[in-house]
Amino acid sequence: MTEPNLSIEFAGLTLKNPVFTASGTCGYIDELAAFMDVSALGGFTTKSITLYPRKGNFTPRIVETDAGMLNAIGLANIGLDRFLREKVPLIAQYDTAVFVNVAGRTIDEYVAVTERLSQEKAIAGFELNISCPNVKKGGITFGTDPQQVETITQTVKKVAGAKPLMVKLTPTVTDITVTARAAIAGGADALSMVNTFTAMVIDIEARRPILANRTGGLSGPAIKPIAVYLVQRVYREVAKLAGIPILGMGGIRNASDAAEFLIAGATAVAVGTASFIRPDCCQSVLDGLHDYCRRHKIANIRDLTGTLQD
Amino acid sequence: MKHRSAQSSRIFTAVVRQHRIIRPRYRLLTLELDAKGSAAFASVMPGQFVEIDAGPLSLPQDKDIPAELLDSAKRNIMLRRPFSFSAIRHKGNKFEIDISYHVVGPSTVRLTTLVPGDSLNLIGPLGNGFRIDQSRPIAVLIAGGMGAPPIQHLAAHLKSHHPDMRVTAFIGARSLDEIPFDIGTDPDGGIIFPAFSSVGVPHAMTTDDGSFGVKGFVTQLVEKLLVPGPFQTDKAILYACGPEPMLTAVSRLAAKIGVHCQLSMERMMACGIGLCQSCAIKTRDPQAEDGWSYRLCCKDGPVLDGKDVIFD
Repeated sequence: MTEPNLSIEFAGLTLKNPVFTASGTCGYIDELAAFMDVSALGGFTTKSITLYPRKGNFTPRIVETDAGMLNAIGLANIGLDRFLREKVPLIAQYDTAVFVNVAGRTIDEYVAVTERLSQEKAIAGFELNISCPNVKKGGITFGTDPQQVETITQTVKKVAGAKPLMVKLTPTVTDITVTARAAIAGGADALSMVNTFTAMVIDIEARRPILANRTGGLSGPAIKPIAVYLVQRVYREVAKLAGIPILGMGGIRNASDAAEFLIAGATAVAVGTASFIRPDCCQSVLDGLHDYCRRHKIANIRDLTGTLQD
Repeated sequence: MKHRSAQSSRIFTAVVRQHRIIRPRYRLLTLELDAKGSAAFASVMPGQFVEIDAGPLSLPQDKDIPAELLDSAKRNIMLRRPFSFSAIRHKGNKFEIDISYHVVGPSTVRLTTLVPGDSLNLIGPLGNGFRIDQSRPIAVLIAGGMGAPPIQHLAAHLKSHHPDMRVTAFIGARSLDEIPFDIGTDPDGGIIFPAFSSVGVPHAMTTDDGSFGVKGFVTQLVEKLLVPGPFQTDKAILYACGPEPMLTAVSRLAAKIGVHCQLSMERMMACGIGLCQSCAIKTRDPQAEDGWSYRLCCKDGPVLDGKDVIFD
């Protein structure tokens, strides 16, 4: 058999394969590049960028749980100006589609960041962060209200120029298909799902939450079956008909996990928390997907998307 | 031509060569690094660390788990854990490192099952270790509890690389049972600590409960001995590693007597390589509007200049 073709069409871009990093788990690019060949990736999603630098939350910012972890970093980042000055030139050195995750307290801030970065050749597209559970303003407060999801998507899309806009959905809603529809109505070119689940761990000696932020977002293998279910639902009920691709994520550690997401309806997959334990995890997911396609005689990995049997 | 980064040589395998019980809850693990790891360790400095993946290890039987850890330590683990090293040796063309650890939770409980021949996956060496200040040849080493391992490494490093320096070590522990390194006896029956005596570093010991050495905190002893003496503060430097209250006291003492200090800090880390941003340390930053910013314990530290760290 000829080698399987791993390339995909994603939001108007042709990507060399369906493996991405997930925002907030891979730095700006140079941190991960010290441990793996990031040019081997189909896509790279940076950590969140806001208009002004953010220090982030007090510590402790993370706590490990059974099969997962909570984080409450609070969108700590260097801000748009330093990102442009220090990180965009680095990003330009790598041969992968870099999506900048954009966050803000107000719609104006999302617009300002996106508008400025839309002129940068090194940036392939944007991921709209309207699902961060760990900040008081912005983040998840936009992402849980369908009307706001549509408005912010529409407003940011206008300034994104020709670059695709992906909207990252929170699972902390009653019906995720409603917010998925709202994002698509607003002009989203892709959906990324899911962000973390709001959760808490308690120190029983002190009777206090362990995290300084009290709550954090649960990620890791613990959330994988829920994320697979939600991707499958959004694919069947919304995305497939609309022709909008899904970047699936939530607890992916290996190629088998990634294949589940693709079968459920994702066009591409993102590795998040697993990069903390194995910084070269994306590479092994990629190698494993290649083997999976060979084993199942899948000539084009894009044909795997949404092949879940009834 | 687009950049392609090489596969990292800092993710590697190490084989257990020795595993000893030092105190009931303290152990010493000797690891032989593979060729990749040995190359990565060629210019390692005391105070750097490795991230160990204990996830693949099994739990010991219940009878071998300390009773108070039976609930907490038996949960599943996912993340690596950071460990510094107390010694590093050439073994042929490879390196051997000593890691002392305290059995406190789900990762260290799993480490207790290791036997010679077992292998572990490591990432390292990571972070910035102690920066030896050659203009300050009076080196005062201060360790508290599990802060001792990098201080042992530093003592040996200073004696072998900077033989002209005057090195003294002060080590504190909660009690005799909480001293994380070997205790030996000299020919006269006196107690010695080979970690320091074998490299010729004079040392003094304190315990909080007085069960060994001088009763009290190690910083109290350092202050008592340093402050009244004819002490050339511009030639001296304090290198410290220990719990945060101890580091706070060292930083205050250094400011009070006007000496430089370097502190090896600790934070919860998910990755150890700058990806997760969880190990933030509050530091002075004249360029920041409000005078401070966070630095990452894993990448900017763990050793920081004492004058930069803000203790709340």
